[in-house]
Amino acid sequence: METWTTVAKLIGAGLAMGLGAIGPGVGIGILGMGAMNALGRNPEARGAIMTNMILGIAFAEAVAIYALVVAILLIFVA
Amino acid sequence: MSGKSYRGGLLKIMVLAVALFAMIIISFIGSEVGSGIVGSKPISFLNVEAPKYHPAPERPFHHLPITNTMITAWISIVVLGGLFFIGTRNMKLVPTGLQNFLELIVEVAANFIEDPAGKKHGTWFFPVCTTIFLFIVANAWVSLIPGFETIRINGEPLFRSANTDLNIPAALAVVSFCYVEYWGFKAKGISYLKTFFHFGPLWQALKLIFTGNFKAGAGSLLNGLISVFAGLLEILSHLIRMVSFTFRLFGNMTAGMILVMIMIFLVPWVLPSLFYGMEAFFGFVQAMIFGGLTLGFACAAVMEEE
Repeated sequence: METWTTVAKLIGAGLAMGLGAIGPGVGIGILGMGAMNALGRNPEARGAIMTNMILGIAFAEAVAIYALVVAILLIFVA
Repeated sequence: MSGKSYRGGLLKIMVLAVALFAMIIISFIGSEVGSGIVGSKPISFLNVEAPKYHPAPERPFHHLPITNTMITAWISIVVLGGLFFIGTRNMKLVPTGLQNFLELIVEVAANFIEDPAGKKHGTWFFPVCTTIFLFIVANAWVSLIPGFETIRINGEPLFRSANTDLNIPAALAVVSFCYVEYWGFKAKGISYLKTFFHFGPLWQALKLIFTGNFKAGAGSLLNGLISVFAGLLEILSHLIRMVSFTFRLFGNMTAGMILVMIMIFLVPWVLPSLFYGMEAFFGFVQAMIFGGLTLGFACAAVMEEE
């Protein structure tokens, strides 16, 4: 029984992180695409685009971080 | 002449790059995982202890309820306070040295805040948002000092990055939440509650129905119900903000800590320093996001609706 609980925990943690990384990955890709498009149209605005892109990436990344927190909780706390 | 020195510089850089690359390879093969892949014996001085992550902060002094993350938070408070005390002790009209640097920080922050918030509200938001930003940055960067987490007392590490304790991001999130609500009330008075309990359109609709104008009333009844529901959702979103604030900061800092630990375990030489640099950058970005989001929510709370 103990073994199966551990198995379920590990599989759950892996799935949480793996599935949770899909959305942010797509989101960061879209963000990068938008930033590159903007850079191509307006190369002078490099600084502003860079700052806002990094902020946006940090927000998209936060979703993956939630998945990571869930995975950590599953392995170490649950 | 110049071509020769250029070539000499290039040679130096190439030698350095090859040496660093060789160090990475050697340290990977010498460590526990790499030696297992290659099939050789691990080299003793490259054998790093496998990383162990404890979610809860440790207590170095067993009979005192002081955790090691708390001690680190105190250190960053002392560092910040000392820096600003020394920098502003004898101020000059034309700043030099440390005073110049501190004025640069404060001025950039003030411009960043006044841009969306305006002059009047900017002076309200500036102290809290900047303090949150500086505190998180100090927490993140103090814990990047080499050897910081290796000092042990009673078998527990004496210091640990303060942001990797769930309590400190949670406390900051509650502070940010309370200040946003306080500013909302300060700017709009009691009518700030209208954001959450928006019964006006519903009463209007009911009044229309009961005064006999049934057709117009039934049409605006749905609108009234929707605005009541939107108000309730607003309450929920204000509360959930705290959770997302907490987990964003905690998760990012914890992930960084675990990443550095694992990289030191896999490749003990050279490569972890790259991740140290990345951690310094992410600490800054997360602090900026925490302060900036507080600013954004505060701006939304004090904004006049039409």
